[in-house]
Amino acid sequence: MNDFKIILFLCNWGPHTAFQTLQDNGSEIPTEVSMMIPCTGRISKSLLFKAFEMGADGVLLLGCKPGTCRYGSGTATARENTEDTREIIGLLGLGKERLRHVTFLPDESDLLLKFLNDFCNQIRSLGPSPMALIRMPESEIVSRESLAEIVSYHDAFACQDCGKCASACPLALIGKPFSPRELVNSIIAGDMDSLSVNKDIWSCLTCGLCYDRCPSAVNFPEFIRDIRHVIRKNGGNAHEAHGGFFQSLMRTMTSPGLKTERWNWLPQDVAVDSKSKILFFGGCSPYFDIFFRNHLGVETLNILMDSLRLLNFFDIKPALLQDERCCGHDLLWSGDKDNFLKLASMNVESIHNLGIEEVITACPECYRTLAHDYPKHGIKLNFKVTHIYELLEREISKGAIDFKKINKKITFQDSCRLNWLEAPADLPRKLIRRLKPSSFREMQNNGKSAICCGNCAWTGCDAFSKALQVKRLRQAHATESDLLVTACPKCQIHLRCAMEDPFLGKELNMEMIDLTGIIAKTIYWE
Amino acid sequence: MTDSQNYKQRKKEIIITGFGGQGIILAGIILGKAAAIGEHMESTLVQSYGPESRGGSCNAQVVISDEIIHYPYVNQPDILVCMSQSGYDKLIKQMKQRGTLIIDKDLVRPSPGLKDDLFSIPATRMAEELGRVMIANIVMLGFFTAVTDVISMNSIQKAIVESVPKGTEELNSNAFKKGHDYGLATLKGRQKKATGQAGAIS
Repeated sequence: MNDFKIILFLCNWGPHTAFQTLQDNGSEIPTEVSMMIPCTGRISKSLLFKAFEMGADGVLLLGCKPGTCRYGSGTATARENTEDTREIIGLLGLGKERLRHVTFLPDESDLLLKFLNDFCNQIRSLGPSPMALIRMPESEIVSRESLAEIVSYHDAFACQDCGKCASACPLALIGKPFSPRELVNSIIAGDMDSLSVNKDIWSCLTCGLCYDRCPSAVNFPEFIRDIRHVIRKNGGNAHEAHGGFFQSLMRTMTSPGLKTERWNWLPQDVAVDSKSKILFFGGCSPYFDIFFRNHLGVETLNILMDSLRLLNFFDIKPALLQDERCCGHDLLWSGDKDNFLKLASMNVESIHNLGIEEVITACPECYRTLAHDYPKHGIKLNFKVTHIYELLEREISKGAIDFKKINKKITFQDSCRLNWLEAPADLPRKLIRRLKPSSFREMQNNGKSAICCGNCAWTGCDAFSKALQVKRLRQAHATESDLLVTACPKCQIHLRCAMEDPFLGKELNMEMIDLTGIIAKTIYWE
Repeated sequence: MTDSQNYKQRKKEIIITGFGGQGIILAGIILGKAAAIGEHMESTLVQSYGPESRGGSCNAQVVISDEIIHYPYVNQPDILVCMSQSGYDKLIKQMKQRGTLIIDKDLVRPSPGLKDDLFSIPATRMAEELGRVMIANIVMLGFFTAVTDVISMNSIQKAIVESVPKGTEELNSNAFKKGHDYGLATLKGRQKKATGQAGAIS
């Protein structure tokens, strides 16, 4: 059994007592690594997943029987966390069976021994985990020169210290002591160890408002992105949200041996064609929905289903990438360029192997990353990248299409990643104007001055992120609308989070739907 | 017997009607030219003269046939294209039974019973969106080409480029494409509806 790594998380109370009995009796315990923990409820999804990221072949979470939890909710929390993580590693192609949550009473030592033996045999029959050992970005001490290179590449010296960025920055406006120009000045001065640089660099939403306002055209978001990479290389903390779960998930997708099952949810009525020259690139929504299902009821998978149905509606049966990996957006923007590049080249290689001519995606982040950031990082594409809004606008404008009336007053949350690109920026509004709602009213900040949903790339989430979401939702309510249309799965997740607030939730609650969803529900051939 | 049937199928009598100034006559000329030059068929055009060309109702009568045409007037059109309400009101009774009716959606309100038996396109609105209301006739020709099988796309596109004023070829080609796409979309929509799949979510 020595070839296999099985991690055992043992609750301090019930199962650990049983485990100690086994040790006292000198029983032969098959597992290698066991860890005593105060309560299984404290083992988050990200900790469970990290074990796999670091090379575990199997992970066990052993806790107390329902009703015997010393802290009340531990067993239930552990069950939910394990279920979610199991589903996610199932989608990832790792096999659900590699993770189990089982409960024991203190005197069930025989049962425990039998269970451990059975589990080890099962892992042995499954074989080693297909996950490659993930290399974290290699740490290297970054010289003053390479820092200066980034500063001069983005021409940050051109900063005139005018403060237009800070007066536009949504974070500064919500009250966070955060100033883009101060950050730039500290970095130019080489003051990389200061608290403000180390902390604030991860708070930036990279939404791009400051870049729009900057009279010297300093591309602040991309500057921040590159500096994050440097800080990460120096071993800096990336202030990852959700315990770093998503960064771990995306890094593990660089394993060449993984056979993901990311499309296993596809409904029967959706027609796809593996020989098509048009590919639909889905993105990470299937993972998001599982991760957030217990407390947010997020349904971003609908975006993919509705997009595919809309393609079918126009007689397009796209191919799907069976081993689709994350596009790498969140790794690129949270300082892990090495693994981003790995994901990028793997995705592009798979797409080229299928002989694809056009890739269609409904995710603004995937769109930007595939269409702009891949080529910018030296990865050549032999295919065209189209956002689904471009395709919809093109097809709908041909005519003979109408939309059913919607008895809702709607408003629209812009996606930052689409908003700053030339082509697709106007498209959501063009499409919305074709719809037939009771009314369409813009929020106070809209279009080029729209506010981010509160967070980007799963990093630096704090109380100010929440305050930003609250502000945005209040703006939405101020339009007297009752349906908030969004264009990005992350907006759905983040705005839903604010609606879960125990004090403000009722006031903020508002029905949300993605633009593809509202189109799919109402479109028809005239 | 077979011959005469064939002959009948290959002979198409068409009336295009609308206001003077909409380019109705030019549309008729292009149609006839496309048939004669592009398809090597016979074609005739009779156009209404007189005060109509200053803004009243006018029409172009086009006959397209494989054989020599002895009589150029159209009394009972196989295909009636209406770009004005007055033209529609005047000529709808003359249309052959099971003939094809094509209308500008925004300019003609058809009698209630006809709703499903016609092809309609907002040609004038589409021309406005393209920047020149004058090209509504070409949008209509594009639509006509897509929903009927009188003339091939190649011939008519060639005829359009040859007939429109110099410098407006590209604009007119775009207008034709717009109308043609709309026609194809209409046909596709009908096909989808026939299979009971009019929406995106079943």
